[in-house]
Amino acid sequence: MSRIKNLFALIVVASLLLTACGGGGGGGAKAPIKIGAIFDLTGATADVSTPYSEGMKGFVEWKNANGGIDGHQIEMTSADYAYKVDQAEQLYTQYTQEGVVAFQGWGTGDTEALRTKVAEDKIPFMSASYSAALLDMNAAPYNFLVGTTYSDQAVIAIRWAMDDYKAKGGSDQLKIALIHHDSPFGQSPVADAKAFTEANGGAFLDLAMPKGATDYVAELAQMTTFGAQYVIVQNVSSPAAVLLKDAKSQGFGAQFICLNWCADENLVRLAGTAAEGVMGAIPFTPPTAAVAGHKDADAFLKTKGSSLAEKGLHYTQGWWTMAVMAAGIEKVIKDGKELTGENIKAALETIQNFDTGGITSPISFSPTSHKGNNSLRLYQVSGGNWTQVSDFISAK
Amino acid sequence: MISGIFHSTYEQDMALRHTHAQKIRLAILIVFLLVFPFLANRYYLTLANQIGIAVIGAIGLNILVGYTGQISLGQGGFMAVGAYTAGILTARMGMPWWASTLVACFVTAGVGAAFGLPSLRLKGLYLAIATLAAQEIILWVVTHWKAVTGGVDALVVPNPELFGIRMNTDFNFYWLVWALVILVTFASVNLFRTRFGRAFIAIRDQDIAASVMGVDLFKYKLLAFAISSFWVGLAGALTAHYRSIVTWERFTIDVSVLYLAMIIIGGLGKITGSYLGAIFMTLLPAVLSNLGRVVKGVFPGVEGIIPFIQQATFGLVIILFLILEPEGLNKIWKNIKDYFRLWPFSY
Repeated sequence: MSRIKNLFALIVVASLLLTACGGGGGGGAKAPIKIGAIFDLTGATADVSTPYSEGMKGFVEWKNANGGIDGHQIEMTSADYAYKVDQAEQLYTQYTQEGVVAFQGWGTGDTEALRTKVAEDKIPFMSASYSAALLDMNAAPYNFLVGTTYSDQAVIAIRWAMDDYKAKGGSDQLKIALIHHDSPFGQSPVADAKAFTEANGGAFLDLAMPKGATDYVAELAQMTTFGAQYVIVQNVSSPAAVLLKDAKSQGFGAQFICLNWCADENLVRLAGTAAEGVMGAIPFTPPTAAVAGHKDADAFLKTKGSSLAEKGLHYTQGWWTMAVMAAGIEKVIKDGKELTGENIKAALETIQNFDTGGITSPISFSPTSHKGNNSLRLYQVSGGNWTQVSDFISAK
Repeated sequence: MISGIFHSTYEQDMALRHTHAQKIRLAILIVFLLVFPFLANRYYLTLANQIGIAVIGAIGLNILVGYTGQISLGQGGFMAVGAYTAGILTARMGMPWWASTLVACFVTAGVGAAFGLPSLRLKGLYLAIATLAAQEIILWVVTHWKAVTGGVDALVVPNPELFGIRMNTDFNFYWLVWALVILVTFASVNLFRTRFGRAFIAIRDQDIAASVMGVDLFKYKLLAFAISSFWVGLAGALTAHYRSIVTWERFTIDVSVLYLAMIIIGGLGKITGSYLGAIFMTLLPAVLSNLGRVVKGVFPGVEGIIPFIQQATFGLVIILFLILEPEGLNKIWKNIKDYFRLWPFSY
């Protein structure tokens, strides 16, 4: 068994290396607030996680430059986890060990895998995964959803489709297809969308987009046979762009509605003219439809020689997700309570109609619901830009 | 002057430890194992536990790939079978965690043997593709068989308890997982002193010759798949109980490739190799990530490119290892031992 010894020699060396690497905190009169974060900067979802991470870091830098949270500087420790669950766990444990009081995650994979530990450690956790499964207060009591859930997004899309169909004088049965990524992320809105469509007398078809497919002609044919007038897409931008291009070349006439992970600048860039007219259910207002909430981020980016238009809507998403977390922390400090995960959770649960400057519909949490909001505006690609076509539509 | 290790009795020949140095190293190792959890914080315990699970999984895969020569890309899928079986039995049917773990091992062994059926006809890359199919099929079933696996939703598993003590805190789980690591090591080391293990090695070295000698290829290949999958299922079941949640995204094709990399870098056909590979592949990202933090502190300007440097380093280290020592870390370790044993008159 001397073989095992190698293991320990290595662990010892590594331990020494690691302990030598402890981070030093910043100075200042008041104790810094430690927040942990993980992003996917090199993995499968790096294209959207990178601007999201920049938005969070940008908010922290901007907030600190403007006095921090009630004089406390935010100290955000973050790293790339390459969308690997094991590495997400390592980083989460490491940051918790170092005393972070809140955590910003990223995808469905890490959010789901960490939710039991998060609840145990009492660390408020936000991420860019808007799966309604995370709203179960027993299973995920420390997870907060800032964006509109995928289910609500789909319901809002169907609601708009019903009105649009009526306005256009459609008299046949409304037929909705939902085509999605073949994963929990993709299937997340299916059940609620189906129930809502059928409750309103429509017909519903759900189709998975096979992983690694180079074209979606077969799926388009299936939707044509079904007679879909509206197609909801729950996928990320690159496969959605392929779908749109195929639809154009096949002369497929239904109206596409992208949910938030394909309704972004990347879709327009990748699909080009095939993206024209596509609708988008976007919980975070894109920079092309300027609202007050864009101002600080844009001004901050201009000092860095960039702009919000260049960074895109995922930057805004990261910025405001962090802003909501900061609002909870600020409340704890203002109330003179000790800064713990438990108190931050309680403070977040008192947030009512938090104004994001029109970026999202106002955000409210309560002890019985961690669903930030249930409404969003719809946008449409016109001239290569996402332009607003509706006011806030609620899923309720 | 030592010119080699020679045995003059059968007892010596059959011993697992031959030299004093080996016994001393083993003693130091055991002391370290016993002391480590009292000195380590939660982060290091998490790493040690992840390593423990990886060692079990890597030993399992090494039995199949390293000892029997049957390439498998189905590791992630087999771990998923273990994790979901254990998770479902405990969460839905209230089976005690240790019983569900045991059942999971047997179920995974069965599934592994079933997917090992093509191995009689397929070899090398063709078998690799067949096992890749196993990976894809298993994950497809896991995500689509809603009635059993819960489909899209993560499966929450109750905390494992033993005599009222919760076993999946980082500290308690350490004892569980490393006790099992030792058990698996003993079983596997001894496996290759039996006719079964020797048959596996014969098949790896030359299957036709093995067949001529009277080794039943079909039986032993399937047995290799079953035994290998048994340990892999254990690794999966432990993951489920440790994290108390099972999600399919933990068992993707990346995991299969990662484990294959572990045993190749550690050393194919060596139990020590499984250890070294598992330690190396688990710690390398952690070390790189921590180095990244130091670099970030010293040169704040390079923050944006650190993740890419980490990825490139990860790849580079693996390539360098394969070029400089194709037999893996195990060979490097052996070279170091030889150097000191023969010092100062190495030849």
